[in-house]
Amino acid sequence: MLPQLVVSGLALGSIYALLALSLVLINKATDVVNFAQGEMAMFGTFVCFALLTKVGLPLTVVLILAAPVGALLGMATERLTMVRLQAAPQVNALIATIGLWMIFHHAAGWIWGYDPVSFPSLFSPNPVDVLGARIAQNSLGIIAVSLLVVVLLYLLFEYTRTGIAMRAASMNRRAAQLMGVNVGRVSLVAWGLATAISVVAGFLIAPLTFLDFEMMFAVLLKAFAGAILGGFNSLPGAVVGCLVIGVIENLFAAYVSTAFKDTFAFGIIILVLMFRPQGLFTRRIAKKV
Amino acid sequence: MTLDIRTIGAVLVLLILVGLPFGLGNYGYYILATIMIYSIVSLSFNVLIGMGGQISIGHAGFWALGAYASALSVVKLGFPFLLGVALGGIVAALFGALVALPALRVQGHYLAIATLGFALFIQQVLFEWEWLTGGRQGLFVPRPALFGVELQSDFSYYYVLLAMFLVLAWITGNFAKSHTGRSLMALRMSTIAAESCGIARARHIIIAFVMSAFFTGISGALYGHLLGHLSTETFSLAVSLSFLTMAVIGGLHSRAGALLGGAYLALAPEILRELKDAQMVIYGVTLILCVQFLPGGLISLVEKIGRAVWRTSDGAS
Repeated sequence: MLPQLVVSGLALGSIYALLALSLVLINKATDVVNFAQGEMAMFGTFVCFALLTKVGLPLTVVLILAAPVGALLGMATERLTMVRLQAAPQVNALIATIGLWMIFHHAAGWIWGYDPVSFPSLFSPNPVDVLGARIAQNSLGIIAVSLLVVVLLYLLFEYTRTGIAMRAASMNRRAAQLMGVNVGRVSLVAWGLATAISVVAGFLIAPLTFLDFEMMFAVLLKAFAGAILGGFNSLPGAVVGCLVIGVIENLFAAYVSTAFKDTFAFGIIILVLMFRPQGLFTRRIAKKV
Repeated sequence: MTLDIRTIGAVLVLLILVGLPFGLGNYGYYILATIMIYSIVSLSFNVLIGMGGQISIGHAGFWALGAYASALSVVKLGFPFLLGVALGGIVAALFGALVALPALRVQGHYLAIATLGFALFIQQVLFEWEWLTGGRQGLFVPRPALFGVELQSDFSYYYVLLAMFLVLAWITGNFAKSHTGRSLMALRMSTIAAESCGIARARHIIIAFVMSAFFTGISGALYGHLLGHLSTETFSLAVSLSFLTMAVIGGLHSRAGALLGGAYLALAPEILRELKDAQMVIYGVTLILCVQFLPGGLISLVEKIGRAVWRTSDGAS
């Protein structure tokens, strides 16, 4: 029982991790916490579903299209809502993302209906034997896809000009700007990249929870918890934090209470903020004047 | 005697508020009452966002705490209405301090995330705690009563709510001029500069949360007695988001703006009824447009027009 719980917890955790990566990416590049990230993921997944059922594309093609769909959605959103707010107080941008949340959440319900629909899974339902434990292929597949995304991100940040420009901008925006980094473009790329990743997350979780306009809220809350646990400024920290959250959630649901399995994340957020606000894995950063 | 435009404006608004219910029916009274209730929540955002620069997407949680605390104290403990309402405010304020406690250690948007989880948690606890709150079935709340006289009609209740709003608006105005209020605003404009002047950041942010939660709790308590029946669905995330929307659209730096925000949230569903589900999409779009093009809210537009009219009439005389 325990190994299955841990592996499916890791799978859940890696979906949270993808969303948390999106949150941290945008936060690092633009200092904005995008509260609409989960809803944008849900909206993008619905677009994929429409491509699948209305247009009739095969599942593998739609899987390849998921990231570009997300990127377009993210970049369009950034251009329409964030550009004008770059010079405004931070709180305004935050309020704007809450507006985006309402728009995507209710537009999805309005366009595609309020009933959950089943989303085809990429992986076969038969479990496989791994070291004596029967593990769902779905869990392994989710972990594999998430790993792939993390590796691609690592390569982007280490070896490409764009990635290095993004790192520079996140360390010191003004200095990066003086060095010729186009900060406006960094924001655009961050939104595109983040939304692409989160649509992939939506794609992975939809077969588990059904495709529903409310499916991402609990995921967002736990991605927040994981990101805070790992320190909101660290990409690897966010991944590890979310994996921990996923496993704890599964064990909590199995051994303690299922009713509160979605709200325990809140407890973790409060505890971490109170006792170790810099997260488990990052050092505290003092702000320079 | 010289009159300035602000005094004239305030007297005009007051006259309109007092005169509004006449000629309306029961439903009109009800809508006016909700305007006042929402306006009190808007006031609470004036303190939290307008002065403190902190965001909450969990005010439905404080609203629920106020509503249930007041209703339960009146139903189960036999408290009089006004005492129940005060208790609602106090319970919400205590939780406000609790939610803001991480402010001692963290900066930035973390508190907003905490409020989000908090509201969800409160809603779920109220739902699961069936023997106390009625859970799924909900809870019946008696009509408001003042000094033993039950207010049967929303017409008279409206005036109670109006008085309550005016008292809280007066408190907000004085708070803005107080040492604490000024410090809070300094913190919003530059945390580092304010801290180096010796202003304790965490303490002030906790005060802002406590005050905001207190106002919202009172509003929730008043709302419970207006509705007559409480169920946890009334306090969903959508409510938290609508609260934020109305406060921003009305104007975060003005008490008259709080009234406009309240009117927006109470009237928009009436006007947009045809659109049904698309309502929240419209809220989202107006919120984003407002943040981008009218950061001072509707009230800044009204003030601009008022000033222009005042100036032209001044020039004519």
